[in-house]
Amino acid sequence: MKLLKTRPSLVLLFSLLLVSIAGWGGAAEKDPQSVQVTIRSILAANKSDEFDAKLKGMEQQLKSLKYRSYRSLKDETKTVPWQGTQSFEIPGGRLLTVAPQEFQENRIALKVRLTEKDKPIVDTTVTIPNKGNFILGGPPHEGGALVLSISAATP
Amino acid sequence: MTNCESNRESIGSWLDGELSPGESESVRLHLAGCAACSEVRRQLESLNLALKNQLTANAAEIEFLPFWRGVQQRINQKRPWHEEFLERCRELFSAPRMAWSVPAVIALVLALASIDFYLPGWRLGGPRNNFATVDSIDAHGRSVALLRENESKTTVIWLYQDQEGENEAAEDATKSGPAF
Repeated sequence: MKLLKTRPSLVLLFSLLLVSIAGWGGAAEKDPQSVQVTIRSILAANKSDEFDAKLKGMEQQLKSLKYRSYRSLKDETKTVPWQGTQSFEIPGGRLLTVAPQEFQENRIALKVRLTEKDKPIVDTTVTIPNKGNFILGGPPHEGGALVLSISAATP
Repeated sequence: MTNCESNRESIGSWLDGELSPGESESVRLHLAGCAACSEVRRQLESLNLALKNQLTANAAEIEFLPFWRGVQQRINQKRPWHEEFLERCRELFSAPRMAWSVPAVIALVLALASIDFYLPGWRLGGPRNNFATVDSIDAHGRSVALLRENESKTTVIWLYQDQEGENEAAEDATKSGPAF
């Protein structure tokens, strides 16, 4: 209280500093230069009841697929510029190509193509929340199904 | 303010032992070299002595008991709840506190807005809305299911391997797909 009575300018300066930080943070969010894309390759199967500890953070998402076991096969993160393209090698000789399209209202639009031996399996355009993910699954792999978690985040 | 004036203002406090060691030493040195201020000191000491003698002489006649009873009564007196409530409200909404609340509210809003950035896994009130919007899917002749899983707020694109001759070894595992 004494500080406010004797140094009101200090309180004003503190408020302005907070507002500036908020403005700077907002501006930084509006103009991301690239996107960090992470692909997690997971093998879902029914041969055992094993749940890979590395997938702990995705447990709720994966359990909805109703397989008995989930094993992490590969994790890969790449920085992709807007309108650029990055390819990720997926187990089973597959290739996933991701091209970030736009960033609007904290959501990222991605063009995704999965190919196997140069044959396209699926082409899709998906808009996900920033730091969110979606799941692309189904291709057979080692007696189970391959599940890909595709997430994107602005740095 | 001259040296004598400032020292005279401090003589009373000096006599009562209320000054810091440094201040006390400064006054003592000044009094040692200033006859006028020493005279003020002598007068104050005489006054103190006279007051002390007077109080000592009359102390036996003063009734302290009613005074202490009054103090105790006021300490123990319970104020009505609404008076206490109003008092607390006055303290809470006093101008200085309200002024501090402005930066405090800004800081709180910034902290809440930054939770997702610094603690991406931490969610207020369950999982956040992670649903994706699927603008287009081309599965090149395969069957495809688009699912929105409500519990984890996740979008799933599931490809069914139903083309003839395609990876028959894994047919059993993927023919039916997951039981969503």
